[in-house]
Amino acid sequence: MVKHRKQNSVNRAARLVQLGAGLAGSYLAYQLQRPFVDEQRASSHRQALKRKHATRVRQELQNLRGPIMKVGQALSMQTHFLGVEMVQELSALQMHAPPMHPSLMRAQFRSAFGKYPEDVFHSFEHEPFAAASLGQVHWAVTKKGQNVAVKIQYPAMGEAIKSDFQALRTAGFAARMTGHLQDAIIREAERGILEETDYLNEARNIEHFRKALGPLDFIRVPQVYPELSSEQVLTMSRVPGFRLEDFLKTKPSQELRDQHGANLTRLFFFQLFCVGALHADPHPGNYLFNNDGTIGLVDFGCVKYLKPEVVRCYAQFWSREWVRDRQLFADIIRVISGPKISSEEARVRRCMNEIRAFYDEFHPLEETSKPLELGDPKFMDGLGKLAKVLVKNRFLSPEFLFLSRTESGMCNLLHILKARVFTTQIARQWMPHC
Amino acid sequence: MSKAERKPNLKQRNASQRTKQGKRDLKKEQTKEHILSAALQLFREKGLERTTTKEVSKKAGIAEGTLFNYFKTKEDLALYFFQKETEQLIQWFRGERRLQKAPLPEKLFAIVHRQLEYLEPYEEFIGAVFCRALQPTSSLSPLSFDSQELRLKYLRFIRELLSDAEEQEEIPRLGELGAYAFGLFYLGIVTHWLQDTSRGKQKTLALLDRALSIGTKVLKQGAWEW
Repeated sequence: MVKHRKQNSVNRAARLVQLGAGLAGSYLAYQLQRPFVDEQRASSHRQALKRKHATRVRQELQNLRGPIMKVGQALSMQTHFLGVEMVQELSALQMHAPPMHPSLMRAQFRSAFGKYPEDVFHSFEHEPFAAASLGQVHWAVTKKGQNVAVKIQYPAMGEAIKSDFQALRTAGFAARMTGHLQDAIIREAERGILEETDYLNEARNIEHFRKALGPLDFIRVPQVYPELSSEQVLTMSRVPGFRLEDFLKTKPSQELRDQHGANLTRLFFFQLFCVGALHADPHPGNYLFNNDGTIGLVDFGCVKYLKPEVVRCYAQFWSREWVRDRQLFADIIRVISGPKISSEEARVRRCMNEIRAFYDEFHPLEETSKPLELGDPKFMDGLGKLAKVLVKNRFLSPEFLFLSRTESGMCNLLHILKARVFTTQIARQWMPHC
Repeated sequence: MSKAERKPNLKQRNASQRTKQGKRDLKKEQTKEHILSAALQLFREKGLERTTTKEVSKKAGIAEGTLFNYFKTKEDLALYFFQKETEQLIQWFRGERRLQKAPLPEKLFAIVHRQLEYLEPYEEFIGAVFCRALQPTSSLSPLSFDSQELRLKYLRFIRELLSDAEEQEEIPRLGELGAYAFGLFYLGIVTHWLQDTSRGKQKTLALLDRALSIGTKVLKQGAWEW
């Protein structure tokens, strides 16, 4: 009876906290109730709460429609950090950026470029053909007759993103206190997203990748028109191809799926080991698939230039040489924990063993005649389980944030494609020590 | 030549007088516009407070007495500026066929943006006018008798747009209140615009867009349910 009354009052308090403090309140509510409910109920309660949170977060983000959507989208890629429920809900936000009606689009174009689009282009379609995460893309024809895609950013995104991250820090106060959400990770995500608001930076990234990805003849990267671009307007050549969803509607053969799967895997390793930079926004809208096996790569707003030691550390996941080499293992500890925490060897070893078991199962070192079936849910489940163990053991580093986002995003693409890929063989082609 | 041919009849005389009157009005309007354009140049260079009527008449190339025939004070000049702005706004909107079919939030956005675009070159002058308009005795005050005609013209125009939206069931019946509320909202947006230091005053664009889209949704759903 006493317990029942206590539970009720805790529930009431939790509800009040929920009402008052939103998401942080809910997090606290769960933490508050935890000691009072048994493990089985706690588990189902946790599931329900997570689902409720997730739906609520998505609804709120959708209502706000503004730049926080970008934060949601970025978080949705963090399959390693968030629960399945949250990722499912947040991924619904993708491809639904805040729309600009033609009057706002014209006003914003003038504000960002100094002239109206009809004064700059020969023809300009007022209805967007695609939503970009920070704005939208319109078809246009230049005065010289070139067919181009013009990306226009929603007004004052930079300022709004800064204030949203401030809100995220406040809302995530409880999670930060318990160490589940590290400040450095929020900072890294903010830096990356703010960088995306500068389209001139994106233009530089495109030029860099156009040159660097030259050896991969199956990749198509757009060309930038600098004279028709500014910090918030980016004019590029059109890149042909279908979005994944539309590509699958054309019922591609398994052979073509495998070819695209292998090419995506090649692209990932080539970027990592030969370019030293990653196209780090792997949401499906950024890849355009063609029936001749070529892939168009668009949206270079979020590019991560990687530190060599991080790449070396990641290569160890594949090569597994650290098992025999103590020096390599010490390097991994340094990258993961920073120089001051060397006492955490046991924790890092536990995580590395988990990673090794996962890679041994799915990406075996020895030559196999069977490709990895990425459409098999077993693989994604394995990846999800591994991610949970890593989060539980705080095997996180801000440097890894974009790397893991790209990797999990790529796995997700390959999973939807139901591609069969010889992953280790492709990795071997470019990996220094594999 | 017959008598009838020499002397115009009453109808013809009236028509001729009307033409003369029309020509006089046109000339008067042209002079007013000429004075306004000279005054605006000075307001932009020296600000509203430091510009004297003597300087305005000199710049316009007319006698100071003639200036007083048209505008008694600098405030009258400012009021005329806003009259012209409202006339141009209404005329522009009537010519925008695509916009007339657009949803209400876009229509209202385009109208306010057009107004801000008109005000853009005279930002400092507008700021000074706003300060003066806060004094209840000023003819620029939204409550003054002098500004009544201008106010009513603008409110009628907005009321017309809102009535259309009411008929299309985009918003519930708001009556006169809707136009008054929008008028106040517009003044709020101009105040934000004057203070906005963001690049290309984009914060105002974002605020305007979100406020109009959320406002319309709230009205449609009923504020109590929101």
